Amino acid sequence: MAATRTGSRSRSRDLRGHVAAIVPTAFVVVAFLLPLIGLLLLSLRPTDTMNNVLPGFTGAQYAEVFGTSYLWGSVVESLWLAVRVSLTCLVLAFPLAWYLARSTSSVGKSLVFVITLSPLLTSEVVRSFGWRVVMSGEGPVNVTLQALGLVDESLPLLRSPWTVFLAVVHVLLPFAVLALSASLGAIDNRLLQASADLGAGALRTFRSVVLPLATPGIVAAAVIVFSLSMGVYVTPLLVGGANQSLAGLRIQTEAMVAFDQPRAAALSFVLLAVTLAVCGLVGLAGRLAERGRRA
Amino acid sequence: MTATQGRVEIRGLSVGYGGEPVLELDELTIEAGEFLSVLGPSGCGKSTLLSVLAGFVTPTTGTVLIDGEDVTDVAPNRRETGLVFQSYALFPHMTVRRNLEYGLRTRRVAKAERDERVRDALRLVDLADFADRYPQQLSGGQQQRVAIARALVTRPRVLLLDEPLSNLDAKLRRQMRHELRELQREVGTTTVFVTHDQAEALALSDRVALLAHGDLEQLGTPEELYRTPRTRFAADFVGAANLLPVHDGDGGPTVLGRPVRLAGSGFAGATVALRPEHVRVVEADGDAAPATVLSVGFAGERYEYRLRTEDGTELLASPADGGRRFAEDEPVGLTWADDALLPLGAA
Repeated sequence: MAATRTGSRSRSRDLRGHVAAIVPTAFVVVAFLLPLIGLLLLSLRPTDTMNNVLPGFTGAQYAEVFGTSYLWGSVVESLWLAVRVSLTCLVLAFPLAWYLARSTSSVGKSLVFVITLSPLLTSEVVRSFGWRVVMSGEGPVNVTLQALGLVDESLPLLRSPWTVFLAVVHVLLPFAVLALSASLGAIDNRLLQASADLGAGALRTFRSVVLPLATPGIVAAAVIVFSLSMGVYVTPLLVGGANQSLAGLRIQTEAMVAFDQPRAAALSFVLLAVTLAVCGLVGLAGRLAERGRRA
Repeated sequence: MTATQGRVEIRGLSVGYGGEPVLELDELTIEAGEFLSVLGPSGCGKSTLLSVLAGFVTPTTGTVLIDGEDVTDVAPNRRETGLVFQSYALFPHMTVRRNLEYGLRTRRVAKAERDERVRDALRLVDLADFADRYPQQLSGGQQQRVAIARALVTRPRVLLLDEPLSNLDAKLRRQMRHELRELQREVGTTTVFVTHDQAEALALSDRVALLAHGDLEQLGTPEELYRTPRTRFAADFVGAANLLPVHDGDGGPTVLGRPVRLAGSGFAGATVALRPEHVRVVEADGDAAPATVLSVGFAGERYEYRLRTEDGTELLASPADGGRRFAEDEPVGLTWADDALLPLGAA
């Protein structure tokens, strides 16, 4: 008797646990999953010459995306941008995260924290216009270059893809710092001391102890930054203009200028698939790296 | 193996954080091959001493010499010390074998020799079959032995142990105490063992350095510390002695109203230490110091009493002679042999 009673009680406790998860799950389904399915269906619709959506199903939109360099090329460009941004963010974020996670100076920590996270506290629009001002023909960068005699006339920095790259790195760096500092902060200081005591210099300690133990954080940071930069839209639009070969901008053009909703949806899904595939590969690489060290 | 290296000399050492000294040692020499325990309560500076020896803390003043070489400013990774952490600090992402190999790889030991030394070290700590396990797959005692093997496999000049037994349960701790001592005899490495447990310090060491408030309170063999404590602190910390005041009576000095024979003169205000195991608890009679039993506990071989004398002094007794169990609130008498009283220096 007692056993069945505790059994039913633990079952009802399990049920209560499920109830707690139902509301957020329902929210995700309604607000995210259903629209996503709607978008998928939309990407399979045929259109007439005026880009009106017709009933029926077709793979034509996807054929168009893969067949047109204007569209497919923008996915490749986005991929290339996202790879550069992710690697740069990781390299820049590591020392910052290390400092945040391990420094004993609370003043220095707060300072680095505020400066690194400040991009998150300002609106993306304001930040992007800031980059416009800095990189414009009469902006501080050009003025300085000319004053130093390095260039004769102001450079068209705003049209350079590197300016967009810089602005996107600036926007996404805080995410990488946050993800990394969590896992760097979890590394026991005594492991670093043990490594030194066993004769390892700073470089070996970094390679053999810090990097392996930071792998989950590195993977998390890479996945977050990569996904966000694959779909980045406002920053490149405001810094470099609408006429760049980036998937986010092309989707916007297809949807809001050409009014070809099914094609915009198809391009979105190709972008999503590439993003998920790369993230999956990064996660797999992280797991293999951990297992490889274990072998 | 005879000890030919690992003589540690500490001279005029002062360590402070933010201006406040936490450790001051005028002179301390650890002989090659010696097992020295550094004993003291938490905050006495014993862990700081270990950090100084390992190179993680730079002293404000003073020098540390190992085999005559000044290592005060030598980085931890060039010191050739072997540190065993209280938490073991095994690398969680490496197997036992990789953990042991780590210190050999940094020293660029060739693979064949590396394999042999790892095998020997694992056999030494009786873990030959566990080379391919990960630390989290081992018990606390096994992890502890891996940590010791990882330090020893590099053949350090000095082995530094930071309370390595404190995370083990009581039974295992006693067993490891013996194993540690036998291991140290076998390899002959100079060992500095930091602990707050006086029983460990007494059982393991060639000599014990008792620290209090950052100062060296007493340095000597375990027997010296136990039999001739120099200060109240030493008597109390090592062996939990009862500290009793000496009074000047009509016929000479008295302790708890009993006349005692003590060497010297002028005992007013002096203190003697009386170990609980040297107090005899007897039926109340004229000759014994009268007292009342506050509580009594059974400790296997003997009873442990907490007692209060007529003048309100509380003391502990765990008489060796067995005898009958006196009940709580029962009036009893206390006696002791004259030579059980240990006269203490000032303070």
